[in-house]
Amino acid sequence: MNLEEYRTMFVVVTLVLALVAVSPLLSVVVPFGGGSERFSELWLLGSDHMTESYPFDVAVGEEYCVFVGVGNHMGGSEYYKVYVKFRNSTESLPDIHKSMPSSLDSLCEFRFFVGEGEVWEMPVIFGFEDVVVVGDLLSVGNVVINGVSFPVGASAVWDSENEGYFFELFFELWHYDVVSHSFRFDDNFVGLWLNITGS
Amino acid sequence: MCSWSRFLGFSFFLFFLFTFSVPWVSASNGNVVPLEVAEAEKALVLAYDAVLEAEEAGANVSGLLARLNLGGEYLAEAYVWVRLGDSESAARFAGLCVEVVGDIRGEAVGLKEEAHGWWVLDVSVRLIWSVFGMIVIVVVGYVVWHVFRRRYLERVLGSRPEVVSDES
Repeated sequence: MNLEEYRTMFVVVTLVLALVAVSPLLSVVVPFGGGSERFSELWLLGSDHMTESYPFDVAVGEEYCVFVGVGNHMGGSEYYKVYVKFRNSTESLPDIHKSMPSSLDSLCEFRFFVGEGEVWEMPVIFGFEDVVVVGDLLSVGNVVINGVSFPVGASAVWDSENEGYFFELFFELWHYDVVSHSFRFDDNFVGLWLNITGS
Repeated sequence: MCSWSRFLGFSFFLFFLFTFSVPWVSASNGNVVPLEVAEAEKALVLAYDAVLEAEEAGANVSGLLARLNLGGEYLAEAYVWVRLGDSESAARFAGLCVEVVGDIRGEAVGLKEEAHGWWVLDVSVRLIWSVFGMIVIVVVGYVVWHVFRRRYLERVLGSRPEVVSDES
């Protein structure tokens, strides 16, 4: 190498070291990394926090427990709302491809705030009241959730193929959008199919 | 005929009395909610906005989030009673929500200002060290270059074959 090449090398090395020296200041104005995907989790677990313990055959007058949980990976604290809804097999489900929630009215809701990287979990103890079977039609008068009785007036016909009266208890996740100042369906829902036996 | 018109008039009177004695507002989902619940909803959102701003400024807002959660629980409970048609209980829980989140905005603003102060201090320290480090590197680089250049020239010139004049 001749002297000119050595000089160029010295200048480059000095500039690189100078850049390293100012990197703490640059990190304030230039975001390094942080390009990870932002999303929210919604889950449903059985009474022992396992998926094996989901209730399925449920009797009137009994209580059943599930855990609904939400994880926040949105990059900051979030304000969430979980709607609890109940339907038979013919009523509407949310359509996550069109970002549309179910058109059914909610029985109740949970509102909570979750910090970035944190989770929220709530036990949901549910049961059924005023269940009447007339012919091949089973009607549910009330769904009891965490001790409060909600009138539903839902009914299902006997499913001879799968042998049962099937209903779904499902949970929709919504989050507060600070731009539009309103809640938006998060394209997330979990459901639990239940075969309600008359007694 | 007279009794019918009296009955009709009394019905209208009761209807308007009920409508205007209890304040109601329309919620975004189409349900009608008492004014207290709508105000609690607004108070909770305003408190959340303030907490978000504090968080973005770098403040630790975990304590405020816990209180917001309590407010959220009360508001959710208020909506349960709205659905069940008990406006009195709904208003009571909405009042509890407003009470819980009432001071959060002020505290969030305080935390935001505190976090901003720390941010300014942090940037100042980074600025001083960055400028100092850069100056040191440039000066050291300059000195090292000159030392290197001198030794290089001495070595190159020292090893160059001499031209001997034979004029004598």
